[in-house]
Amino acid sequence: MRALVLVLTLGSSLALAQNCPTRASWPTAQWPQALVSPTDKAAAIKALEDAFFTLQGADADRLGLRTEGLVIIKNGNLVYEKYARGFDQTKPHLSWSVAKSFSSALTGIGVKQGALSLTDSICKYLPEYTGKVCDIRVKDPITFGSGLAWQEGYENEPYQTSSVISMLYGVGHRDQLKHILTHRIAAEPGTQWMYSTGDAQLASAVAKRALTAKFGKDAFWTVLFDKLGMSSAVFEEDALGTPQGGSMVYATPRDYAKFGWLFLNDGCWNGERILPEGWVSASTTPSDVFVASAGDGEDTPSGYSWWLNKPIPAVAHIGRVAKPKPWKDSPDDAYSAIGHWGQYIVVVPSQDLVIVRTGDDRNADLDINQLVTLSMEVVK
Amino acid sequence: MKRLASLAVLLFVAGCADDNATRRTFANSDLELAVGNGARMGCTCMFVMKMDEAYCRAWVKASPDVAKIAIDTTAKTVESSAFVSFAAKAHFVDERHGCVLE
Repeated sequence: MRALVLVLTLGSSLALAQNCPTRASWPTAQWPQALVSPTDKAAAIKALEDAFFTLQGADADRLGLRTEGLVIIKNGNLVYEKYARGFDQTKPHLSWSVAKSFSSALTGIGVKQGALSLTDSICKYLPEYTGKVCDIRVKDPITFGSGLAWQEGYENEPYQTSSVISMLYGVGHRDQLKHILTHRIAAEPGTQWMYSTGDAQLASAVAKRALTAKFGKDAFWTVLFDKLGMSSAVFEEDALGTPQGGSMVYATPRDYAKFGWLFLNDGCWNGERILPEGWVSASTTPSDVFVASAGDGEDTPSGYSWWLNKPIPAVAHIGRVAKPKPWKDSPDDAYSAIGHWGQYIVVVPSQDLVIVRTGDDRNADLDINQLVTLSMEVVK
Repeated sequence: MKRLASLAVLLFVAGCADDNATRRTFANSDLELAVGNGARMGCTCMFVMKMDEAYCRAWVKASPDVAKIAIDTTAKTVESSAFVSFAAKAHFVDERHGCVLE
């Protein structure tokens, strides 16, 4: 009994020393379950499932929202879970650009571990590169501010002018780091916000080099995935070992929710500080480069590769008008990792809520506001 | 007439230069990209996401829909081809690193 008291005291002291929140339990092995009652919550569940699990037309026509997984975590418990279209709780799902939030977090872990600094040139970690690209600092790619003339584009645009498609499937696929860093510098690094899969992948390459030097070749698992119990996590690389941190992470929805839970708990896990103090706050505050330079076409501000429910201020000299928070009925503190074809990890700290949605939406855009508000009704 | 032709050439060159400065074009044919996508995403779908073959064949379908997919579940490879001269292959690396396009 005395030993147990000692262990508990030491655990609490450790959490306090690192300014970490305390929780009754942590879902490293598995999420505790406290499923909402299907009878008590019948109307709210029906509204949620009508919105996100109603398929349209023939499958081959790829119409509408096609949810493949939906997991809701409330107060540290798995309270709702549903899968469709052949997926279940064991199957990892492609993140697409949700991967960018992982690359940003791994950069933060590098800072916490003393393996890199946000103000360093990327060339400190990628010494085979020289010249103008060395003006890019470690912080720039995680804020989409590298200044590289990246041409983001997907399947509905001309393939030949897409830097992404060329990198994943075309002439850039074998050496993807080279593909990224042979884009010309179009703006002074840190001065122009532009959404870029290349930036996120560059961030993951820098993080891998820095962390591998300290933790070995499976550093991402050692410093992040294993600590959270994300046993399903897959982080793909190109043929030369550059991590594809702009798009190619996979995990089950339950494991994605652990990543959201890490952020909801200020970057701490079971009393251990994984991310530097202040990192989650910086990640969820519109970045300086976004505020100063993002164009009028942007509706949702970003921090360190997370999308935020915050208003956007006007900037007259770039012709940008002020915009309200994008998810109007959702709490101001909501933020999300977002990926192509409908992948989301939504975190709502004020509600102690994490929502993971995976899907295969080819011709429809999910409304995050609707996802958050309908989920809040289910857990109310 | 000669002066007009020179002006036309100059304008053409200037137009190209301006276009090159704003939009880079990558030397990928649609068929190369189609087979790259088919092999890479087919491998991922089968061996990382662990979905069944019918789902994966539908999932990787892209425009132009010309890529044929050959799945080897023993070797954990996916080969994709289009017509005679376009082909790509991806293989499963391991449980942490998924698939790679060769």
